[in-house]
Amino acid sequence: MERIAAQLGRAVQGKPTQVQDVVTCLVAGGHLLLEDVPGVGKTTLAEALARACALSFARIQFTADLLPADILGAQVFHAPTATFTFRPGPLFRQLVLADELNRAPPRTQSALLEAMAQGQVSMDGNTLPLPAPFTVVATQNPVDFSGTYPLPDSQLDRFLMRLSLGPPAPDVEARLLSTRGAHAPLDAVEAVSGPEEVSALRAHAAGLRLDDAVAEYVVRLAVATREHGDIERGASTRAVLALGAAARARATWEARDFVTPGDVRALLVPCWAHRVLLRSAVQGVSARDEAAHLLEEIARKVPAPR
Amino acid sequence: MSARPLRLRLVLRDVGAGAAFASMAVSGQLPLWTLGLFGLALALALLGKRVFARRAKLTAVLLLGVAAVLALQVMSGAMNMVVAACAFAGLIAAHRMLSQPDATADGQTNLAGLLMVAGGAALSGDMVYGACLIGFGVLSSLALALGVVEGAVPEGEPVPVRGVLRPLSSGLAFAVAGAVAFFVLFPRLNWTVVGPRSAPGLGAATAGFSDTVRLGGAGTIKGNPRVVLRATLTPDPGLDALGAYWVGRTYDTFDGQEWTSVGAPQKSGESIILRPGSETLVHQRVELLPAYGGRTLVALEMPARLGNALVHTSLGTRRTVVQRLGGGEVRFVESGISYTYEAYSLPPNAEEGSTGKLSRAEHDQLLALPEGLDARVAPLAAKVLDGEREPLAAARKLAAWLQREYGYTLELSGEVADPVADFLFTRKAGHCEHFATALTLLLRTQGISARLATGFFGGERVDGAYLVRAGDAHAWTHVLVPGRGFVTVDATPPAHRPTQSSAFVQRLLALYEALESRWRNSVVDYSFRDQVDAARALVRPPRGSEERTPSRLPPLRAWVTAALVAAVVYRAWRALSRWKRRARPMEATRFVDAVEARLAQGGPPRRQGEALEEFSARLAREGHPLTPALTPLTRRYLEARFGDRPLVTGEAARLLESLNRALEADAARRRAP
Repeated sequence: MERIAAQLGRAVQGKPTQVQDVVTCLVAGGHLLLEDVPGVGKTTLAEALARACALSFARIQFTADLLPADILGAQVFHAPTATFTFRPGPLFRQLVLADELNRAPPRTQSALLEAMAQGQVSMDGNTLPLPAPFTVVATQNPVDFSGTYPLPDSQLDRFLMRLSLGPPAPDVEARLLSTRGAHAPLDAVEAVSGPEEVSALRAHAAGLRLDDAVAEYVVRLAVATREHGDIERGASTRAVLALGAAARARATWEARDFVTPGDVRALLVPCWAHRVLLRSAVQGVSARDEAAHLLEEIARKVPAPR
Repeated sequence: MSARPLRLRLVLRDVGAGAAFASMAVSGQLPLWTLGLFGLALALALLGKRVFARRAKLTAVLLLGVAAVLALQVMSGAMNMVVAACAFAGLIAAHRMLSQPDATADGQTNLAGLLMVAGGAALSGDMVYGACLIGFGVLSSLALALGVVEGAVPEGEPVPVRGVLRPLSSGLAFAVAGAVAFFVLFPRLNWTVVGPRSAPGLGAATAGFSDTVRLGGAGTIKGNPRVVLRATLTPDPGLDALGAYWVGRTYDTFDGQEWTSVGAPQKSGESIILRPGSETLVHQRVELLPAYGGRTLVALEMPARLGNALVHTSLGTRRTVVQRLGGGEVRFVESGISYTYEAYSLPPNAEEGSTGKLSRAEHDQLLALPEGLDARVAPLAAKVLDGEREPLAAARKLAAWLQREYGYTLELSGEVADPVADFLFTRKAGHCEHFATALTLLLRTQGISARLATGFFGGERVDGAYLVRAGDAHAWTHVLVPGRGFVTVDATPPAHRPTQSSAFVQRLLALYEALESRWRNSVVDYSFRDQVDAARALVRPPRGSEERTPSRLPPLRAWVTAALVAAVVYRAWRALSRWKRRARPMEATRFVDAVEARLAQGGPPRRQGEALEEFSARLAREGHPLTPALTPLTRRYLEARFGDRPLVTGEAARLLESLNRALEADAARRRAP
């Protein structure tokens, strides 16, 4: 994991925490939603991840006229044999970058989301498995909403984590200016891992010990979100499970074989901020900020096990 | 504490205090006016009228007055010190109940309740006291717990009464069960409680068998249905109503008012032989209950041998000796709450009755007449007998005549100069003692030896044993028949011999007496010996049950006991190991508490709500000099708490020591430049 993160750090400079979270999400076996303004390196990060782990990669640019068949693949008539053969779409990759997911119509979104939830694609009565470890990294622009189809809550819930990168620090930007012209940043990324290793990491993380006290802590946090006055709908059971899985993955960073309350607290905002529905009508970035703020307040209020 | 106290809590508190007061009151020793005052206060408090709420200090002066009254009574010797202290505790509780119900008043009410319960233990120790004690414990615990919860709930929010009461009730049930288990299993030691212990239960019955027989007196004798005696007979006659004479003692000398006997106290011993026995004696195992109130042994007419006695006192049960007194009376030497003994009596209708051993003086008294006996008595007897000289036939003729011509009444005649003449010639009505005295004297005037016998008549079969009640007390006549000895002749009309009271009251009292006796045997008198007996009974079959198939294997009972013990041990071991496993994280928690306390003393500043884990990680990021000490320590804590790798013995101290060294080095470094 350290190696993967180091490679990502070469491509996206000055963001160690976010890079760590991205790898955590990959190890936890979840899908990632990157939410930020254009031009901060979302796409670069996803591509670098694919390269570092030597995963097969596809990038789908979501637009308003994108149809499900465009991403899933289609039955094509093969004239010499007079049969239909299935030509897989770009979704049949291990790492799929769904760029500007909210620009596609809901029909296409849900086709992608079914694939995310089930790890398989159903077409014309056939069920086709997707290559493991299947991971979707979706991006979305939270500021410019014109001509978009906002993701419904149920679909947001499918993403394990939501991250935003934010602009890099000034000195990092300056270094970028001076070095970028010579070579593309992605060329610096070397394949240091493989799909098998990612799968093995996932299996290892899933087997880590989660003490009863920590499990109870997660549940108490969830209950606190459900009972909070400013939150319309609190964390779901899937959210509870997601936080547990993410905390397990994070524990591997410190070569621990058990989860601590600190793991839970560190991932509380990335895992839950997009899942809670606020009472106030704000949307987009401010809604996320508000949710993050409330979750931090809850984390302070709910006593952690000692 | 919120502005309006919870009503349920106050009711629980006040009823709890009431139970504590009742635990003293059941002894019957508290003065009546304190009962009244406390009852009034309790009623007012339950109605929510706290009349002393505004002037708590001023009204406390009333207590001083009460204290003065009690002190006067103690000094004048009218009241026991302990009783006075108990009464005062009750009145303090009453005053606190009527005060403003704040935390202080709650505490004082509960404290006074504890004092009252302790006082109740000194005054009595019977079953009702036990019930009151448990009632106080349960109610006050509930009230206290509700008070704590009420204090913790923010103002304006409802108190979760239901949510609190349910776990609390199960906890209380568990505590009571634990107390019972402790009582049963913990080795018992005997102790004595200093204080004027009253006899348990309702005390001795006020009417019934007494030491002397005195005619006259005023008022009405009331039939008292309390059970004074319980006996098992072998061979068991199997009758529902035994209708037998249970003799306590006999009298031979009458002075015109009162019967006494001339016999002197004789030897004492484990058992007393009154007359030679025959081969077919009726064996009785008799229990004299607290309502009996005397020390005289009672047995079926005619007793041959009495003894093998146990006395039950508040200090336990022990063997005791009995002493023979004049008049064929056998007494316990020691006084106790109740007694058990064995007696052998001649079978009823035994033709070969025996006089037993009578001294010369006693023999001479059988014909003695009081001085100043009314002159009309002898002619009356002669007239009724009409020449009948045979003693038994004469006695029966006179008895039949008395039963026919005279009325039965429980109303006493009042003090009269000559009760016998009053009965025979004026009132022509009386109770059993009048009939028996009259018959005895009428016989003596005709030269027939006779004496008065007192005891009980009756015997009602309940659960295989025969019960005799206080109201069954009776008097009759023994006629000396030459060659046969004393023969019982009863002059009282047969319809008036047994107890006169309603069947319902009798049943109710029988139930109470049974409960009370069980309480006394299995709680008050529960001793180390009982524990050993119970343990032995678990392993061995009870004595007397014949082992049908002798075998080398232990009996089934022993197997069952062994299995039960094994199950209990296994469950205890499981619970203990679970507890130990849970105790380890607690150890880690204590460790982290110590670390955090140490860091708060001299460590780098921490952000609000920052756990040790995050604090340590932040210091590591910042490259703080404490990192080399703090990081492994934090790691070990997390492993011990959440990673199932508990701290080994002494590790916590070692880690703390390294932290101390690092903190001191850090402080020195900061001072240096």
